[in-house]
Amino acid sequence: MSEASLTYVYGLTRAAAPLPEEPGVDDRPLRMLRLGALGAVVSDVPAAEFAEDALRGHFEDLGWLERVARRHDAVVQACHRAGVAMPLRLATIYVDDVSAEQRLAEIAADVERTLDRLDGCDEWGVKFFDSPASQSPSAPPEPTPSTSGADYLRRRQAEMMRSGEAAASAAVRADSVYRALAKHAVADTRHRPQDPKLAGRREPMLLNAAFLVRRADTHTFRAAAAELAGHHLEEAIVLTGPWAPYSFAGTTG
Amino acid sequence: MTSPAHRAPAPMTNRPEPAGLADVLERVLDKGMVIAGDIRINLLDIELLTIKIRLLIASVDKAREMGIDWWEHDPTLSVAERDVAAENRQLRTRIAELERQATGSGQLDSAPEREETRE
Repeated sequence: MSEASLTYVYGLTRAAAPLPEEPGVDDRPLRMLRLGALGAVVSDVPAAEFAEDALRGHFEDLGWLERVARRHDAVVQACHRAGVAMPLRLATIYVDDVSAEQRLAEIAADVERTLDRLDGCDEWGVKFFDSPASQSPSAPPEPTPSTSGADYLRRRQAEMMRSGEAAASAAVRADSVYRALAKHAVADTRHRPQDPKLAGRREPMLLNAAFLVRRADTHTFRAAAAELAGHHLEEAIVLTGPWAPYSFAGTTG
Repeated sequence: MTSPAHRAPAPMTNRPEPAGLADVLERVLDKGMVIAGDIRINLLDIELLTIKIRLLIASVDKAREMGIDWWEHDPTLSVAERDVAAENRQLRTRIAELERQATGSGQLDSAPEREETRE
Protein backbone atom coordinates (compact mmCIF):
# COMPACT_ATOMS: atom_id res chain seq x y z
CA MET A 1 0.00 0.00 0.00
CA SER A 2 1.34 3.42 -0.89
CA GLU A 3 0.83 6.22 1.57
CA ALA A 4 -2.91 6.62 1.44
CA SER A 5 -4.43 9.99 0.81
CA LEU A 6 -7.93 11.38 0.62
CA THR A 7 -9.42 14.16 -1.51
CA TYR A 8 -10.29 17.29 0.45
CA VAL A 9 -12.66 19.72 -1.31
CA TYR A 10 -12.41 23.40 -0.32
CA GLY A 11 -14.91 25.00 -2.59
CA LEU A 12 -16.59 24.94 -5.96
CA THR A 13 -15.93 27.35 -8.74
CA ARG A 14 -16.00 27.59 -12.50
CA ALA A 15 -13.71 25.21 -14.34
CA ALA A 16 -12.28 28.16 -16.26
CA ALA A 17 -11.25 30.04 -13.12
CA PRO A 18 -7.52 30.16 -12.38
CA LEU A 19 -6.29 27.97 -9.57
CA PRO A 20 -5.02 30.23 -6.79
CA GLU A 21 -1.38 29.97 -5.78
CA GLU A 22 -2.17 29.14 -2.24
CA PRO A 23 -0.99 26.06 -0.39
CA GLY A 24 -3.65 23.66 0.80
CA VAL A 25 -3.93 21.99 4.17
CA ASP A 26 -0.56 20.61 5.30
CA ASP A 27 1.10 22.54 2.46
CA ARG A 28 -0.26 20.16 -0.16
CA PRO A 29 -0.64 21.79 -3.58
CA LEU A 30 -4.12 22.65 -4.77
CA ARG A 31 -5.62 20.91 -7.77
CA MET A 32 -8.73 21.55 -9.81
CA LEU A 33 -11.16 18.77 -10.65
CA ARG A 34 -13.20 19.70 -13.68
CA LEU A 35 -16.74 18.47 -14.28
CA GLY A 36 -17.88 20.24 -17.39
CA ALA A 37 -18.20 23.91 -16.51
CA LEU A 38 -17.84 23.24 -12.81
CA GLY A 39 -14.52 23.20 -10.99
CA ALA A 40 -13.77 21.75 -7.57
CA VAL A 41 -10.69 23.04 -5.77
CA VAL A 42 -9.14 20.14 -3.92
CA SER A 43 -5.92 18.87 -2.44
CA ASP A 44 -4.72 15.52 -1.20
CA VAL A 45 -4.69 15.09 2.54
CA PRO A 46 -3.10 12.19 4.39
CA ALA A 47 -5.62 9.50 5.25
CA ALA A 48 -3.88 8.93 8.55
CA GLU A 49 -4.80 12.46 9.59
CA PHE A 50 -8.20 12.88 7.95
CA ALA A 51 -9.90 9.50 8.23
CA GLU A 52 -13.02 9.43 10.33
CA ASP A 53 -11.51 8.34 13.63
CA ALA A 54 -8.47 10.56 13.37
CA LEU A 55 -10.59 13.51 12.40
CA ARG A 56 -12.86 13.06 15.37
CA GLY A 57 -9.85 13.31 17.64
CA HIS A 58 -8.37 16.29 15.80
CA PHE A 59 -11.60 18.19 16.03
CA GLU A 60 -11.10 18.33 19.76
CA ASP A 61 -7.64 19.77 19.36
CA LEU A 62 -8.12 23.49 19.10
CA GLY A 63 -4.65 24.08 17.69
CA TRP A 64 -5.27 21.60 14.89
CA LEU A 65 -8.73 22.97 14.28
CA GLU A 66 -7.51 26.54 14.03
CA ARG A 67 -4.74 25.59 11.63
CA VAL A 68 -7.05 23.68 9.30
CA ALA A 69 -9.89 26.19 9.59
CA ARG A 70 -7.63 29.10 8.70
CA ARG A 71 -6.08 27.23 5.78
CA HIS A 72 -9.51 26.19 4.54
CA ASP A 73 -10.66 29.81 4.76
CA ALA A 74 -7.51 31.12 3.06
CA VAL A 75 -8.02 28.76 0.11
CA VAL A 76 -11.71 29.56 -0.16
CA GLN A 77 -11.04 33.30 -0.02
CA ALA A 78 -8.32 33.02 -2.65
CA CYS A 79 -10.68 31.08 -4.94
CA HIS A 80 -13.30 33.71 -4.33
CA ARG A 81 -10.91 36.48 -5.32
CA ALA A 82 -9.88 34.55 -8.45
CA GLY A 83 -13.46 34.10 -9.59
CA VAL A 84 -16.78 33.22 -8.04
CA ALA A 85 -16.44 30.47 -5.44
CA MET A 86 -18.84 28.58 -3.29
CA PRO A 87 -17.32 27.66 0.06
CA LEU A 88 -17.89 24.17 1.36
CA ARG A 89 -18.17 23.28 4.99
CA LEU A 90 -14.87 22.41 6.68
CA ALA A 91 -13.68 18.83 6.12
CA THR A 92 -15.68 17.80 3.06
CA ILE A 93 -13.61 14.75 2.19
CA TYR A 94 -13.78 11.91 -0.33
CA VAL A 95 -11.82 8.70 -0.58
CA ASP A 96 -10.48 9.75 -3.98
CA ASP A 97 -11.03 12.12 -6.92
CA VAL A 98 -13.42 9.72 -8.64
CA SER A 99 -15.70 9.59 -5.64
CA ALA A 100 -15.66 13.38 -5.32
CA GLU A 101 -16.45 13.81 -9.00
CA GLN A 102 -19.34 11.38 -8.79
CA ARG A 103 -20.91 13.22 -5.88
CA LEU A 104 -20.35 16.65 -7.40
CA ALA A 105 -21.77 15.60 -10.76
CA GLU A 106 -25.09 14.93 -9.01
CA ILE A 107 -25.38 18.50 -7.82
CA ALA A 108 -23.57 20.29 -10.65
CA ALA A 109 -26.67 21.93 -12.10
CA ASP A 110 -27.72 23.35 -8.73
CA VAL A 111 -24.22 24.55 -8.00
CA GLU A 112 -23.91 26.33 -11.31
CA ARG A 113 -27.14 28.21 -10.66
CA THR A 114 -25.86 29.22 -7.24
CA LEU A 115 -22.54 30.36 -8.73
CA ASP A 116 -24.44 32.58 -11.16
CA ARG A 117 -26.29 34.10 -8.23
CA LEU A 118 -23.10 34.69 -6.24
CA ASP A 119 -21.01 35.96 -9.14
CA GLY A 120 -19.54 39.41 -8.60
CA CYS A 121 -20.65 39.57 -4.97
CA ASP A 122 -18.89 39.55 -1.61
CA GLU A 123 -20.21 38.71 1.79
CA TRP A 124 -19.93 41.35 4.50
CA GLY A 125 -20.51 40.71 8.17
CA VAL A 126 -22.08 43.37 10.33
CA LYS A 127 -22.29 43.20 14.08
CA PHE A 128 -24.19 45.77 16.03
CA PHE A 129 -23.44 46.13 19.72
CA ASP A 130 -25.71 47.88 22.18
CA SER A 131 -24.45 50.96 23.96
CA PRO A 132 -22.59 50.43 27.22
CA ALA A 133 -25.10 52.75 28.86
CA SER A 134 -27.95 50.38 28.18
CA GLN A 135 -26.13 47.91 30.36
CA SER A 136 -26.74 49.84 33.53
CA PRO A 137 -30.52 49.96 33.55
CA SER A 138 -31.59 53.24 35.03
CA ALA A 139 -33.30 51.38 37.80
CA PRO A 140 -33.31 53.86 40.66
CA PRO A 141 -31.98 52.36 43.84
CA GLU A 142 -34.93 51.83 46.11
CA PRO A 143 -33.66 51.46 49.58
CA THR A 144 -37.04 51.90 51.20
CA PRO A 145 -38.67 48.57 51.73
CA SER A 146 -42.07 48.06 50.19
CA THR A 147 -44.80 49.31 52.35
CA SER A 148 -47.26 46.82 51.06
CA GLY A 149 -47.47 43.82 48.81
CA ALA A 150 -49.46 45.85 46.33
CA ASP A 151 -46.75 48.51 46.17
CA TYR A 152 -44.17 45.89 45.60
CA LEU A 153 -46.15 44.33 42.79
CA ARG A 154 -46.73 47.69 41.16
CA ARG A 155 -43.05 48.47 41.31
CA ARG A 156 -42.09 45.05 39.96
CA GLN A 157 -44.50 45.55 37.10
CA ALA A 158 -42.99 48.92 36.27
CA GLU A 159 -39.52 47.45 36.34
CA MET A 160 -40.51 44.66 34.05
CA MET A 161 -42.13 47.07 31.66
CA ARG A 162 -39.01 49.18 31.59
CA SER A 163 -36.76 46.24 30.79
CA GLY A 164 -39.31 44.99 28.29
CA GLU A 165 -39.31 48.36 26.59
CA ALA A 166 -35.52 48.48 26.56
CA ALA A 167 -35.38 45.06 24.93
CA ALA A 168 -38.03 46.08 22.43
CA SER A 169 -36.21 49.27 21.51
CA ALA A 170 -32.94 47.35 21.14
CA ALA A 171 -34.69 44.96 18.78
CA VAL A 172 -36.13 47.88 16.84
CA ARG A 173 -32.71 49.51 16.49
CA ALA A 174 -31.17 46.23 15.36
CA ASP A 175 -33.97 45.78 12.84
CA SER A 176 -33.52 49.26 11.48
CA VAL A 177 -29.77 48.80 11.02
CA TYR A 178 -30.40 45.48 9.33
CA ARG A 179 -33.07 46.83 7.01
CA ALA A 180 -31.06 49.92 6.12
CA LEU A 181 -28.09 47.83 5.03
CA ALA A 182 -30.19 45.20 3.31
CA LYS A 183 -31.25 47.88 0.83
CA HIS A 184 -27.73 47.81 -0.56
CA ALA A 185 -27.43 44.04 -0.64
CA VAL A 186 -28.52 41.34 -3.06
CA ALA A 187 -29.30 39.00 -0.18
CA ASP A 188 -29.12 39.14 3.57
CA THR A 189 -29.35 36.86 6.53
CA ARG A 190 -29.22 37.15 10.29
CA HIS A 191 -27.16 34.79 12.39
CA ARG A 192 -27.69 34.31 16.07
CA PRO A 193 -25.92 37.04 18.03
CA GLN A 194 -22.77 35.91 19.75
CA ASP A 195 -22.76 35.84 23.51
CA PRO A 196 -21.69 39.11 25.15
CA LYS A 197 -20.00 37.36 28.07
CA LEU A 198 -17.44 35.87 25.75
CA ALA A 199 -17.46 38.37 22.89
CA GLY A 200 -14.86 40.44 24.65
CA ARG A 201 -17.21 43.34 25.19
CA ARG A 202 -19.82 43.79 27.80
CA GLU A 203 -22.50 45.20 25.56
CA PRO A 204 -24.87 42.67 24.10
CA MET A 205 -24.68 41.98 20.40
CA LEU A 206 -28.00 43.05 18.98
CA LEU A 207 -27.30 42.00 15.44
CA ASN A 208 -25.02 39.47 13.77
CA ALA A 209 -25.88 39.77 10.11
CA ALA A 210 -24.38 38.85 6.77
CA PHE A 211 -25.01 40.67 3.52
CA LEU A 212 -24.32 39.61 -0.03
CA VAL A 213 -23.17 42.77 -1.75
CA ARG A 214 -22.41 43.34 -5.40
CA ARG A 215 -18.82 44.43 -5.75
CA ALA A 216 -19.96 47.50 -7.65
CA ASP A 217 -22.05 48.46 -4.60
CA THR A 218 -19.29 47.95 -2.05
CA HIS A 219 -18.66 51.63 -1.64
CA THR A 220 -22.35 52.43 -1.20
CA PHE A 221 -22.76 49.63 1.29
CA ARG A 222 -19.82 50.75 3.38
CA ALA A 223 -20.89 54.35 3.21
CA ALA A 224 -24.30 53.29 4.47
CA ALA A 225 -22.64 51.45 7.34
CA ALA A 226 -20.61 54.54 8.15
CA GLU A 227 -23.70 56.71 8.08
CA LEU A 228 -25.55 54.34 10.41
CA ALA A 229 -22.60 54.41 12.74
CA GLY A 230 -22.90 58.19 12.72
CA HIS A 231 -26.50 57.85 13.83
CA HIS A 232 -25.64 55.36 16.52
CA LEU A 233 -22.75 56.99 18.29
CA GLU A 234 -23.53 55.19 21.53
CA GLU A 235 -23.51 51.78 19.97
CA ALA A 236 -20.85 50.08 17.91
CA ILE A 237 -21.12 48.76 14.40
CA VAL A 238 -18.41 46.30 13.44
CA LEU A 239 -17.88 45.40 9.83
CA THR A 240 -16.03 42.26 8.70
CA GLY A 241 -15.20 41.25 5.18
CA PRO A 242 -15.08 40.89 2.32
CA TRP A 243 -15.79 37.21 2.88
CA ALA A 244 -16.36 34.48 0.37
CA PRO A 245 -20.14 33.98 0.34
CA TYR A 246 -20.23 31.44 3.20
CA SER A 247 -23.62 32.48 4.45
CA PHE A 248 -25.24 32.35 1.04
CA ALA A 249 -23.84 29.13 -0.36
CA GLY A 250 -26.68 26.80 0.55
CA THR A 251 -27.94 24.82 -2.43
CA THR A 252 -31.24 26.53 -2.54
CA GLY A 253 -32.75 26.36 -5.96
CA MET B 1 -8.80 52.99 3.02
CA THR B 2 -10.10 56.28 4.25
CA SER B 3 -13.42 56.99 2.69
CA PRO B 4 -14.73 60.52 3.00
CA ALA B 5 -16.45 60.58 6.34
CA HIS B 6 -19.68 62.50 6.56
CA ARG B 7 -19.30 62.95 10.25
CA ALA B 8 -16.64 63.00 12.84
CA PRO B 9 -14.88 59.68 13.06
CA ALA B 10 -17.23 57.61 15.15
CA PRO B 11 -16.00 55.06 17.68
CA MET B 12 -16.95 52.38 15.22
CA THR B 13 -15.07 50.81 12.42
CA ASN B 14 -16.04 51.22 8.86
CA ARG B 15 -12.72 49.62 8.24
CA PRO B 16 -13.20 45.87 8.25
CA GLU B 17 -11.57 44.09 11.14
CA PRO B 18 -9.17 41.24 10.51
CA ALA B 19 -11.01 37.95 10.74
CA GLY B 20 -10.86 36.61 14.27
CA LEU B 21 -10.77 32.92 14.91
CA ALA B 22 -14.34 33.03 16.18
CA ASP B 23 -15.57 34.53 12.92
CA VAL B 24 -13.59 32.06 10.84
CA LEU B 25 -14.83 29.06 12.81
CA GLU B 26 -18.38 30.35 12.75
CA ARG B 27 -18.22 30.42 8.98
CA VAL B 28 -16.25 27.31 8.10
CA LEU B 29 -18.05 25.10 10.61
CA ASP B 30 -21.51 26.51 10.63
CA LYS B 31 -21.98 28.13 7.23
CA GLY B 32 -20.71 27.06 3.87
CA MET B 33 -22.38 24.53 1.69
CA VAL B 34 -22.88 21.07 3.10
CA ILE B 35 -22.27 18.20 0.71
CA ALA B 36 -22.16 14.67 2.01
CA GLY B 37 -18.58 13.50 1.91
CA ASP B 38 -17.20 9.99 2.19
CA ILE B 39 -15.72 10.86 5.54
CA ARG B 40 -18.66 11.48 7.79
CA ILE B 41 -18.33 14.45 10.00
CA ASN B 42 -22.01 14.91 10.37
CA LEU B 43 -23.77 17.76 12.05
CA LEU B 44 -24.06 15.88 15.27
CA ASP B 45 -20.30 15.72 15.46
CA ILE B 46 -20.08 19.42 14.94
CA GLU B 47 -22.64 19.98 17.66
CA LEU B 48 -20.70 17.79 20.00
CA LEU B 49 -17.57 19.57 18.94
CA THR B 50 -18.89 22.89 20.11
CA ILE B 51 -19.58 21.40 23.50
CA LYS B 52 -16.16 19.81 23.62
CA ILE B 53 -14.39 23.02 22.69
CA ARG B 54 -16.23 24.73 25.45
CA LEU B 55 -15.03 22.12 27.89
CA LEU B 56 -11.53 22.38 26.51
CA ILE B 57 -11.40 26.07 27.07
CA ALA B 58 -12.21 25.87 30.70
CA SER B 59 -11.83 29.54 31.46
CA VAL B 60 -13.95 32.30 30.07
CA ASP B 61 -10.90 34.55 29.99
CA LYS B 62 -9.03 32.15 27.79
CA ALA B 63 -11.98 31.90 25.44
CA ARG B 64 -12.33 35.66 25.31
CA GLU B 65 -8.64 36.02 24.61
CA MET B 66 -9.12 33.77 21.63
CA GLY B 67 -12.31 35.51 20.61
CA ILE B 68 -14.27 32.32 20.75
CA ASP B 69 -17.90 32.60 21.65
CA TRP B 70 -19.93 31.54 18.72
CA TRP B 71 -21.17 28.26 20.17
CA GLU B 72 -23.04 30.16 22.85
CA HIS B 73 -25.85 30.82 20.45
CA ASP B 74 -25.08 28.25 17.84
CA PRO B 75 -28.43 27.28 16.36
CA THR B 76 -27.18 23.77 15.74
CA LEU B 77 -26.55 23.56 19.41
CA SER B 78 -30.15 24.16 20.25
CA VAL B 79 -31.04 21.37 17.89
CA ALA B 80 -28.59 19.26 19.78
CA GLU B 81 -30.29 20.12 23.01
CA ARG B 82 -33.40 18.46 21.76
CA ASP B 83 -31.46 15.29 21.24
CA VAL B 84 -29.57 15.69 24.42
CA ALA B 85 -31.17 12.68 26.02
CA ALA B 86 -30.11 10.46 23.16
CA GLU B 87 -26.60 11.89 23.24
CA ASN B 88 -26.39 11.39 26.96
CA ARG B 89 -27.32 7.80 26.51
CA GLN B 90 -24.63 7.37 23.86
CA LEU B 91 -22.05 9.08 25.98
CA ARG B 92 -22.95 7.04 29.03
CA THR B 93 -22.59 3.85 27.05
CA ARG B 94 -19.25 5.03 25.82
CA ILE B 95 -18.06 5.95 29.30
CA ALA B 96 -19.19 2.57 30.62
CA GLU B 97 -17.22 0.94 27.83
CA LEU B 98 -14.11 2.93 28.65
CA GLU B 99 -14.45 2.21 32.34
CA ARG B 100 -14.78 -1.47 31.60
CA GLN B 101 -11.62 -1.29 29.54
CA ALA B 102 -9.81 0.67 32.19
CA THR B 103 -10.69 -1.70 34.99
CA GLY B 104 -10.40 -4.71 32.74
CA SER B 105 -6.83 -5.42 33.78
CA GLY B 106 -7.47 -5.41 37.52
CA GLN B 107 -10.26 -7.86 38.38
CA LEU B 108 -13.37 -6.38 39.76
CA ASP B 109 -13.68 -8.56 42.89
CA SER B 110 -13.08 -5.72 45.24
CA ALA B 111 -14.49 -2.94 43.12
CA PRO B 112 -16.70 -0.88 45.34
CA GLU B 113 -19.14 0.28 42.69
CA ARG B 114 -21.79 -2.28 42.08
CA GLU B 115 -24.40 -0.46 40.05
CA GLU B 116 -23.48 -2.42 36.97
CA THR B 117 -24.30 -5.75 38.55
CA ARG B 118 -27.81 -4.77 39.46
CA GLU B 119 -29.08 -5.58 35.99
